Amino acid sequence: MTGAATPGRSVQETADELRRRVARQFGRSLHIRTLDTGSCAACEQEIRLLAAPHYDLHRLGFFFTPAPRHADLLMVTGPMIRAFDIAARKTYEAMPGPKLVVATGACALGGVYQPDAFTHGGIGETLPVDVWIPGCPPSPLALLQGLLVAVDRLAEKVRDLDFIQNGGRR
Amino acid sequence: MPQWFLRGLRRGVVTTHYPARPDASAATLPTPPAFQPEGLTAGLADRLVAVCPSWALTRSGDTLIFDAGACTACGRCRTEAPGAVVTSGEFELAAADRDHLVKRIPLLGGSASKGSASEGSADPATETTQGESA
Repeated sequence: MTGAATPGRSVQETADELRRRVARQFGRSLHIRTLDTGSCAACEQEIRLLAAPHYDLHRLGFFFTPAPRHADLLMVTGPMIRAFDIAARKTYEAMPGPKLVVATGACALGGVYQPDAFTHGGIGETLPVDVWIPGCPPSPLALLQGLLVAVDRLAEKVRDLDFIQNGGRR
Repeated sequence: MPQWFLRGLRRGVVTTHYPARPDASAATLPTPPAFQPEGLTAGLADRLVAVCPSWALTRSGDTLIFDAGACTACGRCRTEAPGAVVTSGEFELAAADRDHLVKRIPLLGGSASKGSASEGSADPATETTQGESA
């Protein structure tokens, strides 16, 4: 998508227009490629459950695809082991733009593993992440909410939570 | 199969959008902790930091920094301090920015709880507790 800035329009207007176009493009149907960068497979089990009748993510227009070239969204689980660097970069580069990256689970968010010789301890420094879904593993409901936040169909909720008293809103 | 087909025809559309009604299983999900500032002293905060297996808690002066992204909802902090830590019940935690998941919890008796008194609703209660204990 070439977003050449028109003279007389502010950067903000151009950015808003671009965001609307991306939301329109992603708002209909979206293909997801999952990428396991060393996860324990608990996240994969929950992701697999998304396709089960109870959660049924196809009704929302999301589909899984086995090929990154057909994918709009990369769902990454695991702490990003260093041995996977090249494969992760190739997968990301093989996806057509515009593309989204969703970090899934506490490992991918930098929780469970600290950076060491074998793992980056989170995918943030390797891939440009658009949405972060916490949880160990995130439940299918949390994953669905995360996917809908990623395509701008649901508002983010956690920003207004302070986790003081019963997680009360500010 | 024929029954559902007829029922589907009778009731019309059967699929719904995401939050159509609260999910029955949502109440049983493990969720990150919520902290009660009235019971949270610096010493207790250090014990919680030590007991956290996923580096979700750190203490910076008189603030407990809780990273909800790193939390695995294991419940060890809740077992360590049942009075000061409860279950938040929040599981829809997706964030567009990593920093939105990092929360600052003021500790009891610290200057942070006084400093943020204007913005937090729980702080007047903390201050009264402070006055009583002092």
